Amino acid sequence: MACANNGVSARPRVVIVGLASCFGCQLQITNDEAHLLDVLGQIDVQYWQLASSAPEPAGDVDVVVIEGAVTTEESRRCVEMWRSRADKVIAIGACAVTGGIPGMAAADVQAGRESVYGGEAPEACGRMIAPQSVSSVIEVDFEVRSCPIDTADFVAVLERALYGSNTLVLSDTLCGSCKRNESGCFWREGKQCLGLVTLAGCGAKCVNLGRECNGCRGLSPHANLPAARAMAASMGMSVADFDASLELFNQTSPMLRKED
Amino acid sequence: MTRTTLSMHHIARVEGHGNVHVVIEDGVVRDVRMNIVEPARLFESMVAGRPFDKVSYIASRICGICSSSHVVTDLMAIEDAFGVEVSARTKMLRELLVYGSYLQNHAAHLFVFAAPDFLGEESLFPVADKDPELFKGGLAVKALGNELCTKIGGRSIHPITAVPGGFTHEITSAEYLELADKLAAMRPFVEHIVDVFAAFPVPDIDSTGDFMALHEEGHYAVVSGSPRFAKDGLQFAARDYRRYIEEYTVNHSAAYFSRRADTAQSFAASALARINTSWNELTREARLAAAKAGLRPPALNPYRNNVAQAVELVDVCVRCEAMLRELAEMQGSSAPVSVVPRAGRGVGMTEAPRGTLVHDVEFDDEGRVLKASIITPTVHNLSDTEKNVRQVAEKLSTQGASEDAIRLEVEKLVRAYDPCLSCSVH
Repeated sequence: MACANNGVSARPRVVIVGLASCFGCQLQITNDEAHLLDVLGQIDVQYWQLASSAPEPAGDVDVVVIEGAVTTEESRRCVEMWRSRADKVIAIGACAVTGGIPGMAAADVQAGRESVYGGEAPEACGRMIAPQSVSSVIEVDFEVRSCPIDTADFVAVLERALYGSNTLVLSDTLCGSCKRNESGCFWREGKQCLGLVTLAGCGAKCVNLGRECNGCRGLSPHANLPAARAMAASMGMSVADFDASLELFNQTSPMLRKED
Repeated sequence: MTRTTLSMHHIARVEGHGNVHVVIEDGVVRDVRMNIVEPARLFESMVAGRPFDKVSYIASRICGICSSSHVVTDLMAIEDAFGVEVSARTKMLRELLVYGSYLQNHAAHLFVFAAPDFLGEESLFPVADKDPELFKGGLAVKALGNELCTKIGGRSIHPITAVPGGFTHEITSAEYLELADKLAAMRPFVEHIVDVFAAFPVPDIDSTGDFMALHEEGHYAVVSGSPRFAKDGLQFAARDYRRYIEEYTVNHSAAYFSRRADTAQSFAASALARINTSWNELTREARLAAAKAGLRPPALNPYRNNVAQAVELVDVCVRCEAMLRELAEMQGSSAPVSVVPRAGRGVGMTEAPRGTLVHDVEFDDEGRVLKASIITPTVHNLSDTEKNVRQVAEKLSTQGASEDAIRLEVEKLVRAYDPCLSCSVH
């Protein structure tokens, strides 16, 4: 079991794995410098290519933390392997949770590959597949959303994975946060903001700094896309632009493909 | 015949995934491959068709650690294409944003990635007990870089406030002054770090390649100037880079390689390249720290990029302190100026922490991307890394060094280039 608080057992064994990503979420783990040792001191980091040259362990582990999207057959096998060896899986960041920015290439991988490499891709690219989230390839126990993740969010989720708690996530949309923050609304200024369909939880960080929500936390399960499109149309704005903006972080979401 | 194959699978303590293969036969190095297996995310195809105001937001995600540089370079490409002139205040804020990522990057590279090799550890974490001053100080530099990026860009990774034409938010003058004080307080430690890294022993080699960095007379060029090769002094306009830099593919790398188009010579783009190119433009304090550490142009040993990054930490502390104090007094606005799209090509070129970064974007008349090309510092460096890994492996092999000793020095050299493999493939 993942719980290490039974007196004699060793600290929980944790592995941190990176797939197709910018590595920013792994960096965010190190970005709470003041508490880094408090967090890492509770766990036995068995493998973390970014920070240590300790070799990959052979046995089972308690928790595997996965950053990045699955974009090759090789990475699909990698996440399946870790799922079979880990008690709990935590997907961190938009790439792992929704397919994120790499997911945009899912629209047409073949054409994308040809335009970037001008024909056949080098062998080192491996067998490329349409990018997808980690959660759509294996069962994921916990998610840390956003691009990049918030360090405190990560620590809270890690704590739940290590010491046991439910995996409940809230489902309200970001608009509620702006109402509470009394920060005004971009739609009234004629700008499309994705807060009305995006899962809340970031405190509307971007909106507070004068920038529209780009939807990095992914769609809320309660998102009413037809109503949002109707609103854009009624305000004289382009519905096509609204849908195109949603593709940034939700290209592979089944909700986006549903017509109503 | 003795044949030794050194394979470093998923080389640790670098950003991204790559393997290094070295084959030695009877003391002669037969093959060196930087086998870059980082998954391709196809960014250039991803931004095609997207409106200009989304491009920097997407391009930022190429790299977590130098996201500030990708954003600023992309904004410069957009503004170059549309003929937009931003305010002096905006330019200064962008420079500070990039310098915030210098602190983050150089601290992460020097302390988390490079230092464990020299201290005989697998990672930085055991250093917490062994050398608490180095551990705490290193993390404090990294934290200060994060703070600078957060105060200017709204977040330590993937800045929020930097948009075409300017910034959507600024902190107060009092906060600028507070940051200036923190940078001033950091200076003694980073000066000490130059000496620490200068004292780490490294093989004595001279790079066979050239060095390239942006250069501007009288100003340390980071978001300004034009590219210059250090060895022959050839300088050219950013827009003409295709005549001087050529990208090519090799089967063992998902990342492109680059070389000089005129001489086919490899070159390094790095802190060391900047110091070789812009020595006179460094602050006096940084030049002094460098000279004390025995680093002055022409500095040709690629391992010395570690010392060059430490010297830049000194430079950043002095330079940014002054900029922040100026900003606190300065009149003018960074609010986004009007950005009106037009058809055309724009080139942004900056010095990212790891070296010269190019964003080359073509737009249609509505400001949608027709075509994009992004060349990252690590793309410039891969060919040069292979050449110098060959050189050091051959030298050590001739001296009868053990396989483990060669492996360690090869890994140290690869890390000294501070490669970002996720950037290089993008």
